[in-house]
Amino acid sequence: MVVATSRNIEPEIRGAALPAQVGERAPSLIGLLPGTRAGHDDGLEPSDSPTVVALFGGGEASFAGDREREAIRAELRALGAVLLALSPDLLWVFRPDDEWQRLEPAPCPPDGGPPALFGQFGIAPEGAGGPGLLGLFVVDAGGTVRFAHRVGPVERITLRTAVEAARRAMSLPLCGRTGASRREFLLASLLTGFALAVAEACTPPPPVRDAGSLPQDQLDLTLEINGQRHGLRVEPRVSLLDALREDLGLTGTKKGCDHGQCGACTVLIDGRRVLSCLTLAAMADGAKITTIEGLGSDEALHPMQAAFIAEDALQCGYCTPGQIMSAVGLVAEGHAKDDDDIRELMSGNICRCGAYPNIVTAIRRAQKDMHGAGPASPGAKGPA
Amino acid sequence: MTAPFSYVRVTDDADAALDTATPGSQLLAGGTTLLDLMRLGVMSPTRLLDINRLASSSAAPWGRVEETEKGLSIGALVRNSDLAYHPVVRSRFPVLSQALLSGASPQLRNMATTAGNLMQRTRCAYFRDVGVAACNKRNPGSGCAAWDGFARQHAILGGSRDCIAVHPSDMCVAMVALDAVVHVRGHYGAAGEGITEREIPIADFHLLPGSTPARETTIGPGELITRVTLPATPFAARSAYVKARDRASYAFALASAGVALHVDGGKIRAARVALGGVATKPWRSREAEQVLEGHPPTDDLFERAAATALATAQPRPSNRFKVPLAKATVVRALTRAREVA
Repeated sequence: MVVATSRNIEPEIRGAALPAQVGERAPSLIGLLPGTRAGHDDGLEPSDSPTVVALFGGGEASFAGDREREAIRAELRALGAVLLALSPDLLWVFRPDDEWQRLEPAPCPPDGGPPALFGQFGIAPEGAGGPGLLGLFVVDAGGTVRFAHRVGPVERITLRTAVEAARRAMSLPLCGRTGASRREFLLASLLTGFALAVAEACTPPPPVRDAGSLPQDQLDLTLEINGQRHGLRVEPRVSLLDALREDLGLTGTKKGCDHGQCGACTVLIDGRRVLSCLTLAAMADGAKITTIEGLGSDEALHPMQAAFIAEDALQCGYCTPGQIMSAVGLVAEGHAKDDDDIRELMSGNICRCGAYPNIVTAIRRAQKDMHGAGPASPGAKGPA
Repeated sequence: MTAPFSYVRVTDDADAALDTATPGSQLLAGGTTLLDLMRLGVMSPTRLLDINRLASSSAAPWGRVEETEKGLSIGALVRNSDLAYHPVVRSRFPVLSQALLSGASPQLRNMATTAGNLMQRTRCAYFRDVGVAACNKRNPGSGCAAWDGFARQHAILGGSRDCIAVHPSDMCVAMVALDAVVHVRGHYGAAGEGITEREIPIADFHLLPGSTPARETTIGPGELITRVTLPATPFAARSAYVKARDRASYAFALASAGVALHVDGGKIRAARVALGGVATKPWRSREAEQVLEGHPPTDDLFERAAATALATAQPRPSNRFKVPLAKATVVRALTRAREVA
């Protein structure tokens, strides 16, 4: 990933002074922010809060969904700032404790319309035709630019990422005031903060998709879970684990790492123990799935459940459903001859509490019970 | 959360799976590497071709292990656990069974497939972290963060300035020791000539990183692994796999060795020495094999063979320990193979 850095693009701007830079006076925003009046000399009124100015190329699609909006709200609170999001035609005002306020057409600042304002911030008005964020600036209460980022041609930065980066950059301490000028340090720390923030906040740009493979594909699946058939309509990317927990309400199966490293999500598919986090629900279409809910009942626990209780094989219990499902699979596989084998063949189930000794004892105990119980015990069906 | 993609299930017509030439397509088998890397944002295919249902196809032995006159044929979709516990593999190719059972966990072995394991991707922490800019494998031309980074897990053999990521597979190391052949299906030759198969010796299947670490194997889009064959050899039965790692189980190798010996008349007639956990591809040391062949299988000979296998090692400051560790692993594996009746 290329780490984005702030840059000063100084396009040809007819009739405009050099674009606003960090440490300099900001173009006047009077008239844009509702409740302000023209007539003050320059800078922003009222002067009690900073303003985040986001310049967009247009299109409402540029604006974020609910979760992003709440994240932006939190950042604005941290900055104590109001957000002005301006496109050539529209203005949105976002105060952290209010809803978005949309103004159409955008009001004009005293020095001209929005295109002129774009130019004063160093963004070519002709570049303001396409969608997406073109630049983000923080103007302090005194009207001075404290943060400036003009989005480069290959960057794809969302409003949320940019606001987060600005907030982080603003919160960096201004240290080391000897040697270089304060402004240079301010600039350097802002750039560093921005680069760090973008590196952390940016996931790689979404791949370009052809129209034939749009993500809104939904799949109709049938899963037979604990003997009961369930119809399900999900996106292809939904894991079996998420389908069980989120779509079907079977929360006995736990999400630990979600990367196949802890075993908390272990279930049986067609009698074999597998990790439901690294299985797509779509891959299990038509399969017979056994989860912890299907092992036994309150009246008649599965021998493995009973053994875990009898041997006190848990502390916090979070890994326990996965441990039990894995242990049931282990017994069905029939390869564990002694405690060392049990330890080795249970190594895919991590217990953060360290209940391992009692887990081994419980499995050894249940092994005898299950062999005695025969193949009738649910979930104990051996692999083909 | 994983980025969206479209999903196609290949059921009976295997040739539909050759459609990976469509940009953004990836084959989905066990999913244990692919879905993990997609969730990390390291891989972002836009279209998955799920080939798991081919395992129950009657048209070809995708999901079966079959004995043939020449040896063993392992379907691409045979799960690691089924292969490891197959009676013929346990008795006649023990290094493969041991290698498989030393890898991952029982759950993952129930999912992971033979072909998927051949295509397994590195565990290099810099490769797996999209917050790290420099990774030539993930982002060609961006540099290698591991070179001057924390390289404890990284390769001491087969690396280049552009990449020192370890190939993580245990299975492939055993297959290198067994002279396995990878069978691949694809459209070859002029257009319209139809679909044919080609055979790739496993030692040639994986590529050294060189200056193009993003290229990992000799196969490309539009090709599909159908099976792996193991020839019947006089050395396969006397073979062993030894793996050193940070914990007793469920960890990737710091160093591993898969070896095979054919001993006759008190002398080694043929030997195979393969290493894992220390190299950028499943590593075969023909030099070590030459040291072994023609001599009685003594402890001293094993030490010399191990030293020869590591003679060209180029460790980084943080993984120098791998040189003596890998030597000891080779010696121990040879000693175990010698003990096989």
